[in-house]
Parts: sequence; structure tokens; C-alpha cells
Amino acid sequence: MVKQLDKEFITRGVRRCSTPRFVLWLTPWVALLIFGAYCAGLCLVKGLNQTNMDNRYAFGLWIFVDLTIIALGAGAFFTGFLLYILKFKELKAVINSAVVIGVVCYSGAMAALMVDVGQPLRAWFTFWYPNVHSMLTEVTFCISCYLTVLLIEYLPILLKNRKLRDIPAFLVFEFELHKLIYVLAGVGTFLSFFHQGSLGGLYGVLRGRPFAFREGILVWPSTFFLFIISAAAVGPSFLICTTWLVEKISGKRLAKDRVFDLLARISGILLSVYVLAKTIDTLIWINRTSPSLGFTASQYYDWKPFGTWILFAEIVVCGLVPALILLTPRLRAQRAWLIPAAAVACCGVALNRYVQTVQTMALPTLSFDKFLTYTPSWQETGTFLGVLAYGVLVYSFSFRYFQIFPEERELKIEVRPQQEEEPALAGRF
Amino acid sequence: MFPWNYGFHFGVASYIFLGAFYTVLVVVATTILSALWRAHQDLSNSKAEDIRWHSDFHDLSAADRACRHVLTGEFKSRECPNAFDCRGCETHARLVAVHPPVAAAEAEADLFGMSFPLDRMYHRGHTWARPEADGTVTVGLDDLGARLLGTPDAVDLPEPGSRVQANGTAFRIHKREADVRVLSPVDGEVVETGGVGRGFFLRVKPLDGPIDMRHLLRDGEVKPWLMRELERLQLALTMEGASTPSLADGGVPVADIAAAYPKTDWDAVCGEMFLEP
Repeated sequence: MVKQLDKEFITRGVRRCSTPRFVLWLTPWVALLIFGAYCAGLCLVKGLNQTNMDNRYAFGLWIFVDLTIIALGAGAFFTGFLLYILKFKELKAVINSAVVIGVVCYSGAMAALMVDVGQPLRAWFTFWYPNVHSMLTEVTFCISCYLTVLLIEYLPILLKNRKLRDIPAFLVFEFELHKLIYVLAGVGTFLSFFHQGSLGGLYGVLRGRPFAFREGILVWPSTFFLFIISAAAVGPSFLICTTWLVEKISGKRLAKDRVFDLLARISGILLSVYVLAKTIDTLIWINRTSPSLGFTASQYYDWKPFGTWILFAEIVVCGLVPALILLTPRLRAQRAWLIPAAAVACCGVALNRYVQTVQTMALPTLSFDKFLTYTPSWQETGTFLGVLAYGVLVYSFSFRYFQIFPEERELKIEVRPQQEEEPALAGRF
Repeated sequence: MFPWNYGFHFGVASYIFLGAFYTVLVVVATTILSALWRAHQDLSNSKAEDIRWHSDFHDLSAADRACRHVLTGEFKSRECPNAFDCRGCETHARLVAVHPPVAAAEAEADLFGMSFPLDRMYHRGHTWARPEADGTVTVGLDDLGARLLGTPDAVDLPEPGSRVQANGTAFRIHKREADVRVLSPVDGEVVETGGVGRGFFLRVKPLDGPIDMRHLLRDGEVKPWLMRELERLQLALTMEGASTPSLADGGVPVADIAAAYPKTDWDAVCGEMFLEP
């Protein structure tokens, strides 16, 4: 009965694992989600004393994770922008996956942020009594609005489910909403542009922390623009990585090579722009911004383990190298080069967010300050793992029941010869 | 930030923020309301079936959306822009005026071992429509469609008096795990229902005036279309893990193709062949 019901919800013509196997796959993730919910519950009920953060070290694992997954989830807005506004039709093959990733990333980030802020009963204060001087206010508004947009964009994917579209009201609403999706793609791009920028701006305006403080254009520090470019650059790379990972786990081809190639090309171009901008920004910061605030740049890197290696890793190893690989047609055509390059690019943006969050907080800024160290508590780690499990679960359900990769059926035939069996009744037709 | 916040002052920044924020809210809300309103209008005007077909057609592969004039070789490649409804297609009208369909040579056409009588017209979803002397139109499943479904497990026919529309659902057939919606070739009101043993499934009377059947395949168009359908069937069987026999084998389709492939996902094969991806 359950098996039959399960099968009825699966898209026609695609193969999914059996129901018991799917349940087996879900079990550890559900366990992790329950553990994460327990950890988050502890933090919300008992307070932030459950974490290893304090008044001096106010940004920890959660903010780092938030910044990283929001950057990686940028594939949603950027792919939508390229497909619906700039008409890159090939990206139709991955847009649904990009939206699911976006929903997962943004809702996960919001959940982690809510635990971080605490006081869940007063969560609405941030909207009703916003701090007019905080860039975080802009971030909160933009992310909330964009998550709403993403959830609306997710609706057509959900309503296109084979069983749900049997209901005429769902069918026509999905059809009509999909016709207007370009409006939502435009709004999403606008919102993403600003909240990615504001997240970067959040650090750039910290005049009291010369390691993070940056000059800029008008009211926007350079980090505002660097965050936008880096997010747009790694969004497609993350999409490459997730598609490849799902292909490996499910044993199916999900998108054509030309889609991977296009995503790699876009990512490579934007990554090289980012590397150039980041290099210029770093040189200005080393030679002008930081000395004007009384610090030489080398002072920041005296505190181990944050040596200059981290700057080199961020710009060269995780920036320039993957950019060159992704820009080289012969290399990006081979998965052995493409996937590591895309993964390293994603690691690069994570490293950048780590530096902005953790290193900024750790470094002393006054003569009597000490170099601080921070290790997340098990409650913090558990909450993060809960968010991770939530993401895997949402994606797993979406992949099983919704048409995430429209080219999957078409590509089925290309892998068939390896699995071909003797026909049951050969020669009948 | 907001006028009700402590410390709020009207200035350029607040105008920009408030303007952008409320614009976003208005645009998102308008989009949702507009989609809801249009959906309501569609339901009120009974457009659900039309939308279902357009949505299905959009999901077909590009090769499956080929124009009927590609089948006859008049175009090398062309995707149908009208979801297989040629009644309003200017290109079709122009081409038919220049090259009228070749008249049938025989009354009974035996095509690839299957019976495709040319006294009727064929829909690309494997139904046929035959005009009767009393002005009604009989609707049935073509021979390939019938062989695909063999002896159905169940058939859901519409009640007499209900309306069907071209490219909308005519009836549903269940066979093994397959639940297939069969597309109606014509518009009209159902006056009689048949069944598997009766040689037809529906008899339809026109709603007003004679039934327009310009969108259906006829005469010389049937053979090339059927040839392509057999290729599609082979491809669908291959995709679903069945064998890859070819017509070069010299065989003809068996009466119950589903029975010949007991392990194949028949729902997927039927979805492909009956244009319900």
C-alpha cells in the first residue's frame, strides 16, 4: 500500500530506489535532524550560554555557516537571472535543482540565525523595531523577502508533482505561476544582489576592526561588491558539485555535458573577475587602509594559525587555480578536473567567510586585547549538523518526488547499454 | 527605517529603503494574486484540460513535438508551435492549400502489420475519429494504441452528456501499473460510450456546427507518422530497459505488447506513447 502510494508520487519514467531503501537512506539524516533540533532547543531554552561564544566573540560557527551557505545558495538567483532574464535556455536543465538548493540554503540559514539571535518569542522585533543603524537589518529584510520569493519559486516544482497536478486547481495555479516566474526571478536577483552585498558590507564597515574594515564607493565598502561577485561566481560551481554528487549517489546522468560546461564557463569568468578584484582590494588594504588605522598588514598574520598562507590559499589556491581550470575548455570538459576545480572554488568562498567571521573576531584590536580562540560547543556543532541534515532531507524528497532534472529521462538511454539485460521475450516486436 | 521606529528621520536613505522594500512587497504580492486570479478564471472557464495538455506538450521532448509537415518531409525540422492543434495554424493552411493530402489508395490500410483504415482520421495520441452519417463522430483507440494496452484492466469512460475537448482527456485506461489518460481527438458532447469489445470508446456529437477535424492526420500522412511512432516505441522500450528489436527483424507488433514485456515499466512506455510525459 505504502509502496504503491510512494510510486504514484514519483515522476513518470524516472527510476528511483525502492521505498525501504529510501527509508534506510533517510534514517541517519532524520536521527541527525532530531539531534540538531535537541541542540537548538537547548540553546533556545537555556540561552546562548550553551555556546562557546561570548560578548567579545559574538560571531562563531553559525554565522560562518550562514554566510557560506548563503553564498553557495546564490546559484538559485544567479541561474534564475541567467535563464529567465538573459535567456540562457540550457540552464533549464538545472534551474529546479538551483531553486531547491536555494530554498535549503536560505531556510537553513534563517533557522541557524534564529537560534543564534535567541529569544524566539521576540523574533518579530527585528522586523517591527529594526535597528536603523545596522546593516544586519538590511540583511534580515532582504533574506526574509528572498526566502519568501524562493518558496514561491519552489511552489511550481512542488505542484508539478505527478499526483498533485491531478488536482485541477493545483495544475492551473502552477501553470499561471510559472508564466510569471520571470518576475520573481527579477525580484530575486534584486534582493540577492543587496543581501549578498550587505553581508559583505557588514564586515567592511567595522572601523574598530582594521582587519575587516575596507574603503569603498559612497556608503558601500569594497567587501559589499566582493561578496556579490564571489557568491555569483561559486553559485554555479556549487550547482556543478551538487549535480555531480547526486549523479554519483543515484547512479544516473542528470544533466548533459554542455550544461556542466556552461556552468563551469560562467563560474570561471566570474571567479577570475573576483580574483582580480580581491587582489586589488587586498593591495589597497595592505598599503593604505590598514596603515592609516595604525596596523601593518603583517601584524594580522603573526597570530598562528592565521598565517599568510590563509591569504595565499584564499586568492591563489582557491581562486586563481580553479578559475584557470574552469576557463580552459579542454580541462573543464573532463570531470576529473571540473569537479575538483568547482569544489575548490566553493571551499574558497567558505574560507573567505571563515576569515571574515572567525579571524576578524580572534585578532586583538587594542593594546590590552588578547588573541582569542574559539571552538564551537557540541550544541553549536549539533545545531549546524541539524541544518545539514535538514538540507539533505529536503533535497532527497525533492529529488525523489519532483522533476528536479528535466533531462534525466532523456539521458537514461545513454547509460542503458551498460545495464542492458537479455529481453524477456526477444523478437516479439 | 520605518516611520514608527524610534529615531526614524525621513531622508534619502529612508526613501530608497522604503521605496525598494515596498516595491518588492507589492511586486511579489501582485504576482501571487495575479497567478491566483488567472487560475481562478481558468477554472471558471473550464480551461484545466487545455492547460493540462499545454503543460504536457511543453514537457515532451523536442523530437516528439515535431510538426506534422516534418513527418511528410515538407520541413526538415520544425517544432509545432500550436500544441498539435493545427486548426488555427497559418503554416498548415498554406501548406495544405499548396499540397493537399494524397488520397488513400485503398480503403483498408495495412501498415506494418496493423490495421489503420483510411475512412477515419488519426490523433497523434493514438486515437481515431470517424465522422458518421448522423453528424456524430465515433472515437476509438488506433491499432497501435490498442496493442500497447492489450486487454485493459479497467477503463474509465466519461458519462454520456459530458463534454470532451480536442487534446483534453477523453477517457482513462489502466493496464498493469500504467494509468493512461487518452487524449480526445475532437470537441463535443458524449452521446454514447463503448468499450474494448465494441470497437469504439465514445460517440460524440458536435456542440455547434460540424466538428472541425483539420488538426487530425489523414490519408498519406498516416504512414510516415506511424513509422515515426514505431521508432518512438522502440526508443521508449529501450529507455525502460526492454529489448531493442528493430523492424528489420521483419516482425509485426503482437496483439498485447505489454504482455511481451512483463518487467518493463509500462507506465513510462505508455506515458511516452500517449503523450503524457
